[in-house]
Amino acid sequence: MPLFREGAATPIANDGPAPVPLADWLQDRHGAAVALANTDDVNCLQPHLADLSLIVLHFPKFSDGRAYSQARILRERMGYGGEMRATGGVLQDQLPFLLRCGFDSFESDQKGFGEALMRARTLFSVVYQPTEDGRPTASQLRLVSRRIMATAAE
Amino acid sequence: MPDAHFYSYDDFDRRLVAERVEQFRDQVRRRLAGELTEDQFKPLRLTNGLYLQLHAYMLRIAIPYGTLSSRQLRKLAEISRKYDRGYGHFTTRQNLQLHWIKLEQAPDAIAALAEVDMHSIQTSGNCVRNTTADHFAGAAADEIEDPRVWCEIVRQWSTLHPEFSFLPRKFKIAITGSPNDRAAVRVHDIGLRLWRNDRGEVGFEVIVGGGLGRTPMIGKTLREFLPKDEMLAYLEAALRVYNRYGRRDNLFKARIKILVHEIGVEKMREEVEAEYESMKDSALKLSPDTIEAIAQHFAPPPLRPKRTLVPEVEALKLEDRNFALWLKSNVAPHRVAGHAIVTASLKPAGAPPGDASAAQMEGVADIADAYSYSEIRVSHEQNLVLPHVAVEDLPAVYRALDKLGFAEANIGKITDIIACPGLDYCALANARSIPVAQRISNHFAALARQHDIGDLKIKISGCINACGHHHVGHIGILGVDKNGVELYQISLGGDVDFGHTALGTILGPAVPAEKVVEAVDALVTTYLEARAEGERFVDTYRRIGAQPFKDRVYATV
Amino acid sequence: MAKNLSGDLQVASANRLADGMVVFLDAAGQWTERLDRADIARNKQVADILLERARAESFTVVDPFLVAVIEDEEGRIEPLSLREKIRASGLTFAAIAAEAVRYA
Ligand code: HEM
Ligand code: SF4
Repeated sequence: MPLFREGAATPIANDGPAPVPLADWLQDRHGAAVALANTDDVNCLQPHLADLSLIVLHFPKFSDGRAYSQARILRERMGYGGEMRATGGVLQDQLPFLLRCGFDSFESDQKGFGEALMRARTLFSVVYQPTEDGRPTASQLRLVSRRIMATAAE
Repeated sequence: MPDAHFYSYDDFDRRLVAERVEQFRDQVRRRLAGELTEDQFKPLRLTNGLYLQLHAYMLRIAIPYGTLSSRQLRKLAEISRKYDRGYGHFTTRQNLQLHWIKLEQAPDAIAALAEVDMHSIQTSGNCVRNTTADHFAGAAADEIEDPRVWCEIVRQWSTLHPEFSFLPRKFKIAITGSPNDRAAVRVHDIGLRLWRNDRGEVGFEVIVGGGLGRTPMIGKTLREFLPKDEMLAYLEAALRVYNRYGRRDNLFKARIKILVHEIGVEKMREEVEAEYESMKDSALKLSPDTIEAIAQHFAPPPLRPKRTLVPEVEALKLEDRNFALWLKSNVAPHRVAGHAIVTASLKPAGAPPGDASAAQMEGVADIADAYSYSEIRVSHEQNLVLPHVAVEDLPAVYRALDKLGFAEANIGKITDIIACPGLDYCALANARSIPVAQRISNHFAALARQHDIGDLKIKISGCINACGHHHVGHIGILGVDKNGVELYQISLGGDVDFGHTALGTILGPAVPAEKVVEAVDALVTTYLEARAEGERFVDTYRRIGAQPFKDRVYATV
Repeated sequence: MAKNLSGDLQVASANRLADGMVVFLDAAGQWTERLDRADIARNKQVADILLERARAESFTVVDPFLVAVIEDEEGRIEPLSLREKIRASGLTFAAIAAEAVRYA
């Protein structure tokens, strides 16, 4: 399946080491790429995060959103900093959500996916939820402008 | 400051909604061009509130916490004229449904909504839906705190939430700020009830796992007392647990109520609290400034106490019996002396419950401008509410509503029927709801008789999904289909008042459509004969049980 | 008198993609709003073919399916089920008009 990463509209080479299913990987921790089912508990990766450079999370259908939670736990709570890939039912209209949850590479065979990826971060200039992407939320920005106004008034 | 006394969008909210309209416009374009299949497009249109029903597309517009300005209501009227057939259906979840929308025009209709700071985002789909509130919020005499501040905080947090847009199933939240729950918090996925503890602090009771539908359940308390500033962190924790563990193998078992039922509320609590531990000091914790920035929008209108005894009102009471009845049933106490909360009945005799024409919407907007600080509420009982009316204006408001056909003195009475769209519109229906409601309404149209019968809530759903809340009707009516014939199953004893949330019990075999009115009449007669002093229908039922009702109904039909 | 109450007569129906209106497939393979123009399949085998034709023409409509109908002596057809009757002929009560301020 074509692999995409932000910054390029065309697929990139998908020639890294094949990710190993979690249960197998935990046996001998061979290689730096692991693939999770969306029912796997990500917490068991906590002691090994430094050994990993790729975690692949799976969407059996695009409407099955469990991997969004896995992604945020890995990024925000566990501090995983390597590549996090979405695979399975990955469609362009999910991109704004995927990006905000910390995914940075995507396997998708949808036509136009690469172009959509180029635009995905600009679709919404406002966000309401604090997530690992660090974008200031509307309410944080409101407080800043309130403070500026309060200072100006003094 | 804008003149509204509730939240109005700032540039951030406006930009987000405008960008969402453009995103949807592009999705519709791709669908019409054949770039998206129906399977791919359906969830996209649904998260923008666009269904495909029997006859056409249906647009479900969110009315956050049921609060509207007159300007917004006029715009809804205009949209219904321009893009629909000039009328709309107010629902039990504080939404407005337009039933004759064209896909090609849907982006324009949604763009028109955005002009008045409204949207239809997440009014369908497996995401967090419109958060509902007590329709008397900010005006009720019994209120501890205005729940709408918290609804707005939830609205923003839940809008395009990146983690929770593909939940196992839909997720409905309701918030009440009064001990007398008017928001049905125990039949929502999460219900939040503001209350004051022994130390005088106000916080939330968090209730989880309520719901109607095919497996009705009453919600259980997940957290007795949650400090207000921890609300979002707690919701995020609860939603994460649900997103990870809610069932996805069976559509009918996917709601959070089933998860809570299967693992038990103790285990649910353990999971949520564990998740919450790691979140409560995160950026989700609400600072006093953040809360204040929202709360200031809800500053109440500058009502000054006025005289409560107005000669003109007293005179009209003697002169016009209907006005006297209207004062009793459609007017509720306001927290400021000399003021009242008026409910405009969208249930005139024989009318489809909850429907209003464009002209009627405009009429109500005019009345709100003249007498209620330009504010209107939508109740979960499918009526409109004028929240801030001076007692001395009641005669004028009554006359103006009467001109619209909305002054029927029947709030809480037998003809104040809740009914879902049913088989006339709905692709999932087994049987019709609206024509049944119309027949019952016509049969009991005489107001004096209705007031004699007293408080009696009839709720009708056209199928087991229970959009018409039949499980919690004093009399619930559920349409079923037997070999192509419409039959109606009657249940008794449901309730939603706080402390009394109860699910009705099925009376017996379903009755044919043409016998429903007779069956209801038999129920009412049984009650009238058996009632003790001061008893409502449902009280008598609780005292004497189902048998006398059953005997009478099945002797009749 | 109606014949074929068993419902082995079928027509193909769908909702039009662009506006959601109820449409039926006619003999020429066009989608029409008029039930009386619908192509009628008179046995199961033909019905299967009709449904396949409908699916092949589904670019402008959503999810085609078969509707059981009955035919009277004059050749007028009517859907068998109440749901499909309502789809074919509209609401069973009078909706309020845009300018109405009272219900009739
Ligand atoms: C006409 C199009 C509609 C469709 C297709 C529809 C669909 C559904 C479905 C499938 C359910 C069951 C969900 C479940 O149990 O998981 C449901 C529940 C519900 N709907 Fe609707 N509905 C429609 C209209 C309405 C209307 C008009 C109202 C308000 C009057 C409404 C309010 C509700 C409520 C309150 C529930 C039950 C509460 C709960 O979710 O547990 N719906 N709806
Ligand atoms: S209860 Fe059934 S018939 Fe009524 S609106 Fe809901 S899904 Fe449709």
